[in-house]
Amino acid sequence: MSQFSYAQIDKTVLDTLRPPSLVYWLIIFLLSLGVMTGAACWAYQTAVGIGAGGQNIPVAWGTYLINFVFWVGIAHSGTLISAILHLFRAGWRNPIARAAETMTVFAVCIAGLFPFIHLGRVWMVYYMLPYPNQRLLWPNFQSPLVFDVIAISTYLIVSILFWYTGLLPDLATVRDTAVGWRKRIFTILSMGWTGSHEQWRHYTRGYLFFAALATPLVISVHSVVSWDFALGIVPGWHSTLFAPYFVAGAIHSGLAMVLTLMIPMRKIFRFEAFINRDVLENIAKTIVFTGLIVGYAYMLEYFLAWYSHNVVEQEAFRWRAVGEYRMEFWVMVVCNTLIPLLFFVKRIRRSVPWLFGISVLINIGMWYERFVIIIGGVAHGFMPHAWGLYAPTGIELGILLGSFCLFFLLFLLFAKHLPSMSMTELKETLGNGGGHGR
Amino acid sequence: MADRSYVFGLFRDGNQAAAAIKALRDAPWNIDRVHSPFPHHGIFEALRVKKSRVGYFTLAGGVFGFFAGLALSIFTAVQWNLIVSGKPIVALIPFFIVGFECTILFSVLGNIVGFLTQARLPDFRGLKVYDPRCSEDRFGVVASCAKGEQEGLKAFFRERGGEVLLFDSSPVTADDGNAPHV
Repeated sequence: MSQFSYAQIDKTVLDTLRPPSLVYWLIIFLLSLGVMTGAACWAYQTAVGIGAGGQNIPVAWGTYLINFVFWVGIAHSGTLISAILHLFRAGWRNPIARAAETMTVFAVCIAGLFPFIHLGRVWMVYYMLPYPNQRLLWPNFQSPLVFDVIAISTYLIVSILFWYTGLLPDLATVRDTAVGWRKRIFTILSMGWTGSHEQWRHYTRGYLFFAALATPLVISVHSVVSWDFALGIVPGWHSTLFAPYFVAGAIHSGLAMVLTLMIPMRKIFRFEAFINRDVLENIAKTIVFTGLIVGYAYMLEYFLAWYSHNVVEQEAFRWRAVGEYRMEFWVMVVCNTLIPLLFFVKRIRRSVPWLFGISVLINIGMWYERFVIIIGGVAHGFMPHAWGLYAPTGIELGILLGSFCLFFLLFLLFAKHLPSMSMTELKETLGNGGGHGR
Repeated sequence: MADRSYVFGLFRDGNQAAAAIKALRDAPWNIDRVHSPFPHHGIFEALRVKKSRVGYFTLAGGVFGFFAGLALSIFTAVQWNLIVSGKPIVALIPFFIVGFECTILFSVLGNIVGFLTQARLPDFRGLKVYDPRCSEDRFGVVASCAKGEQEGLKAFFRERGGEVLLFDSSPVTADDGNAPHV
């Protein structure tokens, strides 16, 4: 870092906003095709009904809710990196904070789509809003599903505002170097920011409060998501372990997604000097920490089933490991807890190909974790005659593909049109030796 | 303030700017504002700025949000006064969760309102008397003097390593008495 000047930091980041190459537009086109595939599948399901998916009785919660929990989880690392690590004054988060926050915003938007898709009759979504129906019935605020609507909406609004506030000084930097219509757009977006001491005085204070508020929020949001399950009496779900287990899992998957996105981005944008191996190593160390918590939670679930002397609970967990979904279970265990332990080896956690490969495997493992929890719970409940199985249909897989394409499409559009590293925080690290705040 | 001139001293180094601000305290001119590409600790110390009042807005938002969330849950529950599964109509533990989420939501909204009103954004007038290099790598100290005294102020900045620009007016005024007049 210290080898750079303020102007070089600006130049490195602003260079990424130059007109993109043909390859970029080709990738955008392919991702758009994927998004349209997902949209077409959703349109088909809306036309023919929710039966287009593989949900059944007893497995009424399928891929859509797996995707919902998965994307909410991905959204968690952005806030961890920008808010929690900011409060801990971890300077290594500065080069990756902007991209992680952006990832959070897009992931929450995509997560928010899945309850709509899962509804089938999507036009009935307003039933979840605090608005009475014709019989003057309001939503039930004792239900975790209504907590979820409030928590996710809050998280979306807070993430967008936090992201935009952090972006404001950088938008002014882009404005000051842009010409023509780009200058006019960035002038409006930067709201007349001039970096005066009065603006910074209120900005640093406001940013600190943002971080302080986002920290309990991020913990509460995935706790609330976990209560969608834990407050049901379904075997394998009804546990007080769920909130910390889900929060750790969310951060685990989010950090892995940060690595998956940052590694190609640093190469393409030549950010290696900023997002260096030390930064990647620190993410890997945090992944070891969250992976150990997740592994501990997996073991504790088995301990609780054994210690409870509850035969239904014991059967649910026996079946997870050796039943029809054993492959998914062991993918989950190996990818989320065993493979991240490779990061204990310094050579591996400093090797970019290893970091990338392991991050992809953790993403796969975390998707399967949600599969094992959600499908495994309802498929093998109290009544043996009501046991069932589930497999996603092509329509559900099309929507899953569309969601991934939409995420990467939005991220690519962001990376070429807005500063993908916080120039302000990098300069601050250079000038003050730390991030915002006094 | 037509009787005053505004001189803009641009510095490459934040510490140079901070030293110039400290020296201005003993000079017969007033500091109007300081522009910097990031919040520089040395400049903040030299200006002796007070703590921002954004937190009061955040607190007010949080208190409002908590009671609004709780009130919404209780109000909607009593509209259909039917006990289900032996649970109380007004169940404080689940309603506390709604209150908590609304606390965070309205604290953040209060925070944003506080930041925008205190920092006076959006406001595009400041861009007319601003140097774009201040968002890149320069630290701009704007000081005012009586008309006719500009040369002394210019010399003051030049002696301290600054590049000098001259403006006839300042769009930015002290917002809450915290502007560091010397």
